[in-house]
Amino acid sequence: MEEIKKRETRKIATETAARVGLMVKGLLSEARKAKEEHRPVAYTFICCSYDEIIRAMDIVPHWVENYAGICSARRDAQRFLEKAESNNFSRSLCTYALCGLGFDAQREESGGMPPNAPWGGQVRPDMMLSSGQMLCDSRVKWFQAARSYMPDVPVYEIDTPWPQYEDYCDYKDVQNYYIKYIVEQLRGLVKFLEKQTGRKMNWDRLSELVNLVDRTWNLIWETYELRRALPTPMDTGDAMNTMVPLAFMMGTQQAYDFFKDLHDELQHRIAHKTGVISDEKYRLIWGGGLPSWFALTDFNYFNSKGAVFPVETTYRMIEATYNFDIDLSKINDPLEHIAWRWVKYWTYWYDRARKRPHSQPDVERLIQYIEDYQIDGIVMHEAFSCRAWHVGLLGQLKLLKKIYRNIPSLVLESDIVDISSYNEADTRARIDAFIDTIAVIKGK
Amino acid sequence: MTIDNSTDSLTRVEQIYNDYGSRAKELKEQGTKIVGYLCAYTPLEIITAAGLIPFRIKSCTDKPDSQADNYMENIVCDHVRNCFALSLTGKYNFIDGLVIPHACDNISRTYNIWKHCPGLPYTHFLNLPHNTDRSSIEFFKAVLGSFIKSLEIFTGKPISHDALTESINLYNDNRIKIHELYELRKHNPPLLSGTHVMQTLIAGMSLPVAESTKLINNIISDIKQNKHSASPGKNGARIMIIGTEVADISLIKLVEDSGANIIIDELCPGTRENFPLTDITDDPLDGLAERYLKKINCARTFFEPEKSYQEYLEKRYSTIHQFIRDYHVNGVILYIRKYCDPFGFDVPEIRNYLHSLQIPVLYLEEDYSRSSFSRLSTKIQAFLEITSTYE
Repeated sequence: MEEIKKRETRKIATETAARVGLMVKGLLSEARKAKEEHRPVAYTFICCSYDEIIRAMDIVPHWVENYAGICSARRDAQRFLEKAESNNFSRSLCTYALCGLGFDAQREESGGMPPNAPWGGQVRPDMMLSSGQMLCDSRVKWFQAARSYMPDVPVYEIDTPWPQYEDYCDYKDVQNYYIKYIVEQLRGLVKFLEKQTGRKMNWDRLSELVNLVDRTWNLIWETYELRRALPTPMDTGDAMNTMVPLAFMMGTQQAYDFFKDLHDELQHRIAHKTGVISDEKYRLIWGGGLPSWFALTDFNYFNSKGAVFPVETTYRMIEATYNFDIDLSKINDPLEHIAWRWVKYWTYWYDRARKRPHSQPDVERLIQYIEDYQIDGIVMHEAFSCRAWHVGLLGQLKLLKKIYRNIPSLVLESDIVDISSYNEADTRARIDAFIDTIAVIKGK
Repeated sequence: MTIDNSTDSLTRVEQIYNDYGSRAKELKEQGTKIVGYLCAYTPLEIITAAGLIPFRIKSCTDKPDSQADNYMENIVCDHVRNCFALSLTGKYNFIDGLVIPHACDNISRTYNIWKHCPGLPYTHFLNLPHNTDRSSIEFFKAVLGSFIKSLEIFTGKPISHDALTESINLYNDNRIKIHELYELRKHNPPLLSGTHVMQTLIAGMSLPVAESTKLINNIISDIKQNKHSASPGKNGARIMIIGTEVADISLIKLVEDSGANIIIDELCPGTRENFPLTDITDDPLDGLAERYLKKINCARTFFEPEKSYQEYLEKRYSTIHQFIRDYHVNGVILYIRKYCDPFGFDVPEIRNYLHSLQIPVLYLEEDYSRSSFSRLSTKIQAFLEITSTYE
């Protein structure tokens, strides 16, 4: 605890993003309150495709990855990682999952929250809703493994894949069977939830929430696009806060209102030329990798060197739905609507990639952002415990330099949760060297 | 390399194993196209039906994977990294194409790297769902349909229904023979060592399926006629090995050199990928989708929860339990590669399950490398001493 008190606090540029801490605490207390009132609580995953469905059925989510991130940011995850390790989970596995499993193990063994659990702790769920997609093995396995501590808690897994990018064929040739499959998976989830809760889905309410999510996606896109301004009014440091309403509150009016406030604040800052820092020299992109939640002050360190991040690929898990090549408003079935929205999100950069020889969608996205946001250098983070988000980043960098230009790059190495992987002095020395390189290139 | 039919069957296996890829290279020189693949989830029947030769890209224990460093993160499991590093060295430069199934993140997230680096004329990503319900089977059938189409474009020839059924039969024959090979190990002492069996399976991964079947058939026939002594000839501990993909015979040999017999496994290559057969169905894709999605008992698949957790464990690990009974196993080695997420998350539950059967378990999590094996030797010997008290 002494260490936590002494820890440097990250400076947040926008007033709106500074509200996020309270919102996260609100999410956790809502789950605890729901338990007390015997309302159903589900363990849920980020980017799950079922946000509107659980909201429409009044199921209170507890976002397990978010909670592991909180433990990490509080620098209080090690005891849960060690607990999972003592139960024979390898330390090389996803540390979000290990932190969550270690926490569950402690809570189930003691029959109550572990002492001084960060921000009140992780409640015992009534169900666990898995969503493997094509994204993450750990998410397919996590809740299955958690059943060894909570054998009475049911698990439901949905697959929501998307077509892989292939140079030689158009994904539109196969998208229909993907949509059909995702809709069937979502329908299966609705049935499961109806059985668990004893309540029927309110389809009109679901349609309203689906519409709200479309509007929220569009608003977020428009808000984040404002960050193109010189100087940028908000950078990735703040975006690691604003990802909370984006990822964990989608389908709520609160999330929409949050981004409306952020939009207004950014417009105000742009009008008054208020940047993240007063002397913006270098504009960087956070080009991939989840952040080290225990070391978010590194973003301030970049700022202290005159560098800002007007854009990031991480957690920008939305596109403007009006830019899709399909009019979502014409799809009446809310489940089909959800399916199309996600497939169009994942395939959004495919057509652009096909136009440039040897390109691929994630690199095309980097190129577009580099140009739109006038970027001088790219920073990525390799978290050792997460293959889903971090394998392929080196390949992207190589391809970017081959088909676009030789932009300066820095790949930081650490983890999302496990602080033992982090060395602040080394990290900052590498940042110093990187900034020096950009300074030389810009000075030419 | 032409297979020398005058030598005994196990010597031929050893030749093919030691010069892995030589037969594929020879076929390539004769004008046949070779399609490389990773993992048990590639439907070989379809590749063969297209008139192509499937060839398993394998890693090896004694070559460092540092050549992959510039392209592939070191948090990728050493199997995939090593396969890729070997490809960069030109070891597999006879392949014309590559199929990457969505087996795990280590494999699927490296698809783009494979696609861009070796610069192959044909690559295809095969998207497997994690679920196995009816809608997942239907989806997977559609995925297989797209795979067929991609091969038809590559070869310029259609894949007929009959060719697919014939190919399914060829692979079923092969897997039935592999099953027979395993049966020889039920004897005490086993009639064939685990090392020989693994060597045979690995050699087979580099051959056209009919040649592999013939090779296995010859081994069975030679053993039954007492043409050579392939039996380890010792009444050591009867060990089962469970785990991820193995690159070669090193691990099994290490255990057998320590005095035990590996008599059964749940490995790739091994029973996991070779025991399940494909049902002959009106639409061949029905049988294939069922086999690959439901019958291969890999940790990457989501297993439907049962009413109780114990029921789930019984169903999930029933094959292992059956093997333990049928092959009179008295110890299990659980070997998991570092950074293998699907198997890594299963370790506590599988250990608990095996303990409930009162069977000793040795859990090893390592890189599959020669340097790690020297460390493992002591652990294995200590385990075998414990195991002997359970006999």
